[in-house]
Amino acid sequence: MKRLDTGERAPSRQKIGIAEYAVVTDETVLITSGLGSCLGIILYDPVRTVSGLIHVMLPTVDQARDNTPAKFVDTGIPLLIEEMAAVGADTSNLQAWIVGGSEMLQLSSNGDSIGSRNIAMAKQLLADHGFEIVGSDVGGNHGRSIQFDPAAEAVSIRTADETTQVI
Amino acid sequence: MKVDIRELGQFNNLASLGAQRAASSLSQLTGVQIDVEVTDVSLVTENVLAETFTGQSFVGVELGLQGGLEGETVLAFERERALMLQDLLLEATGSSDDLAQSSVTELGNIMIGGFIDGWANHLGSAINMTPPKYTEAVGPRILPDQAIEAAKNHGVFLFESKLEAMDVDLDFSIYMLPEYRQFVELLSGTSEGNQIPVNRLSAFEKLATQGAGNAAGQIGMMTGLDTDVDVSRLRFVPLEGVPRQVGDDRFVGVVFELKGLPSGYLVVLFDEASAKTVASSMMPGGGSDEDGIGTMTEGAIKELGNIMTSGFIDGWANVLGTSIEHTPPNFVHDMGSAIMSPVIGKLGKQQDYAFVIDSTIEIDGHQGQCDIYALPNERELARALSALPAQT
Repeated sequence: MKRLDTGERAPSRQKIGIAEYAVVTDETVLITSGLGSCLGIILYDPVRTVSGLIHVMLPTVDQARDNTPAKFVDTGIPLLIEEMAAVGADTSNLQAWIVGGSEMLQLSSNGDSIGSRNIAMAKQLLADHGFEIVGSDVGGNHGRSIQFDPAAEAVSIRTADETTQVI
Repeated sequence: MKVDIRELGQFNNLASLGAQRAASSLSQLTGVQIDVEVTDVSLVTENVLAETFTGQSFVGVELGLQGGLEGETVLAFERERALMLQDLLLEATGSSDDLAQSSVTELGNIMIGGFIDGWANHLGSAINMTPPKYTEAVGPRILPDQAIEAAKNHGVFLFESKLEAMDVDLDFSIYMLPEYRQFVELLSGTSEGNQIPVNRLSAFEKLATQGAGNAAGQIGMMTGLDTDVDVSRLRFVPLEGVPRQVGDDRFVGVVFELKGLPSGYLVVLFDEASAKTVASSMMPGGGSDEDGIGTMTEGAIKELGNIMTSGFIDGWANVLGTSIEHTPPNFVHDMGSAIMSPVIGKLGKQQDYAFVIDSTIEIDGHQGQCDIYALPNERELARALSALPAQT
């Protein structure tokens, strides 16, 4: 797909912060940085070219004090799907990428780290919806910054040591 | 009079939404995409204002607020950024150079108008703005005299929203300094929630300065290098704003969990060059031939971090009269924002906002720098502060 050269200065990139999301229907590149234990989830409808990216912090809204949906995996994924449907995505068959969920620190806690629980929750919910995970780069103990380029249908991942990979 | 932490959170949210509106007006006017990086609020004294603004030359637009919210709002650009912005505006509007100053003033008017819009709704009463005034100043004088006077007397609440352009090197801040007495009343809230007596708020600054002062002293003792606390502030930030404040640069550092009253986290970060400088000066013979950041630097930073953290929390214990302990160091070498991500994840189960004590220590003149971020559990901090004897 080729970007039309209209000569207009359209915003070509959009930054998404923690507990934020964005949905676009053009080729705007979606960017989020500083994924440590947080998880970046990308959903994409290749037919109608609707892209969504959400940067979630914790696996579940249960036991948390506030209920900002974009903060949690279990409320963030449904929110993203709904927002994509609202702009015309066919949400019965989305492609998914998940990145992040690393274990940056050995903090005292009961059971698994936040990162691994974020990953498990996302995989489970995406499977429940029947979405195919076309790419993932999760776990480990390093941070990641990502860009989703709808034109390339690919996620590029950068780490602090400046290595980049594309999935 | 008590300050309700939830109310403070509400006002921070209003400021953040206002900053987003201001950013989108500016994006439309210039054709450059502008994002809000973070909005925080801190109670600052004259010293902190001086530390925060000193040495920089500013161009600003100042507006007074009257009615439901009284005080001043200032849109401040470092001089070179303002020139760049004028160029962008000229390019976008095709107006002449003579109009540059008035265009910045008009821009300030539009942006501050957007910034204030949501507040009147929340407060249920009108807020009137005085006409915008174009100002130029070096250092804290960019702020209105009344605010500086108030900071001298009892401190002033300083809201700061940092805005950043996406594709050009342009960043600047919107500051709002509400009138102290009225604002404290607005913060009193009605809930039974987390409240801090207003006369204990001055203990905030002591927490920041004592902790950082002790930690800086420890660096000096361990390395023989001169150290100086550059800025130390206690900010109130939405949790998800903390990683943005630290930024995506790569840091070397240590993370500790704090246990006691309050519990929380303490993060000590050095840029790579500073980490190597302090590590080398801790080695016998004063040097290491290690390439990059290896085990020798790691060992030195862990040892130093341990001692700094002990010093820091001793400072807190002095102010609060409580006992606090810390875990062994977690060594980190990664993007700052990613390092903070599990810390805010842990805190995020209990709170939406964080009190962040953010101190910058200069090492060996301007050669090196160390940033300390302390994130106490909000409720426990409120409890510890409330338990302090009243101050006169």
